[in-house]
Amino acid sequence: MEVQGLQMTEPTTAPGLFKRNPPIAGEAEAIERAKAGDAEAFSKLYALHKRRVYTLCLRMLGNVSEAEDMTQEAFLHLFRKIGSFRGESAFSTWLHRLTVNLVLMHLRKKGLQLVSLEETINPSEEDSPKRDFGSRDTQLAGSVDRVALERAVASLPPGYRMVFVLHDVEGFEHNEIAVMLECSTGNSKSQLHKARLKLRELLRQSEPTPQADLKEAAL
Amino acid sequence: MTLQNSNRSNTLSCAEFQEQLPDLFAAGASNGHISDPDLLEHLRSCTNCTALVRDLQYIADQAKQLLQPTHEPSDSVWKKIQEGLSSEQGYSVLPDKK
Repeated sequence: MEVQGLQMTEPTTAPGLFKRNPPIAGEAEAIERAKAGDAEAFSKLYALHKRRVYTLCLRMLGNVSEAEDMTQEAFLHLFRKIGSFRGESAFSTWLHRLTVNLVLMHLRKKGLQLVSLEETINPSEEDSPKRDFGSRDTQLAGSVDRVALERAVASLPPGYRMVFVLHDVEGFEHNEIAVMLECSTGNSKSQLHKARLKLRELLRQSEPTPQADLKEAAL
Repeated sequence: MTLQNSNRSNTLSCAEFQEQLPDLFAAGASNGHISDPDLLEHLRSCTNCTALVRDLQYIADQAKQLLQPTHEPSDSVWKKIQEGLSSEQGYSVLPDKK
């Protein structure tokens, strides 16, 4: 699939992708009908996937208006290109790849096209995670709920957030991310590691302290 | 606490160990799945790096729950899609229901 210069091919099936994106009831039939131009079937595909596509756009862009515009673009592209979906990967994986490419193209058009993302996604020194050679042994495991994690991800510097969402949330491999972001695989690994370090920092900061708990209990 | 004497094992410093982490995680090696004896030795003897690896693995695991969507686009998105398809390809029969 060609998306204004971006090659949209179906990925070779990565382990776990079908497991993470299991087929949805009625989806296969809707895809086949939509391929034949059935508008009702396309409407069903929109209903099935709008939330995940929009959530992906919102996480990548951090802006409601832009995320809605890109959701619209993604489904318009889907309608035009659905005939090229061959079912070699989960439909949602294919749709998400299409969406990611559109969002990245949008970001490049906004000003990132002059320099590669590899150079521009590096955050400022103050946004970088602190190196951790201390001995504090606060256990994070078990203490983080979905809302706290969502909030922490939203506050990551854009480059870190992009790689984290693509790898840890969406399940893309480093070599796929490297192609999408036009950076090296090593850079993708490094950005992901820094993203997780930064998240650890942010999540630790948001943890309630015993003193705060006591104050809250006293009120 | 200085870098040199912080939780230093016989073979690797914390800094040296942590430099390996991006590749270790990319290779799927979390705590308990590391085969390099030097790295394992450091991990066994360093509570700080053990906690770090555990937390980073936990964050990666928790991220998977974010795959389930939490946000919904406004109704205007579907209306614009309908308009877009109508104008460019003559699909004027897209239903209103979402």
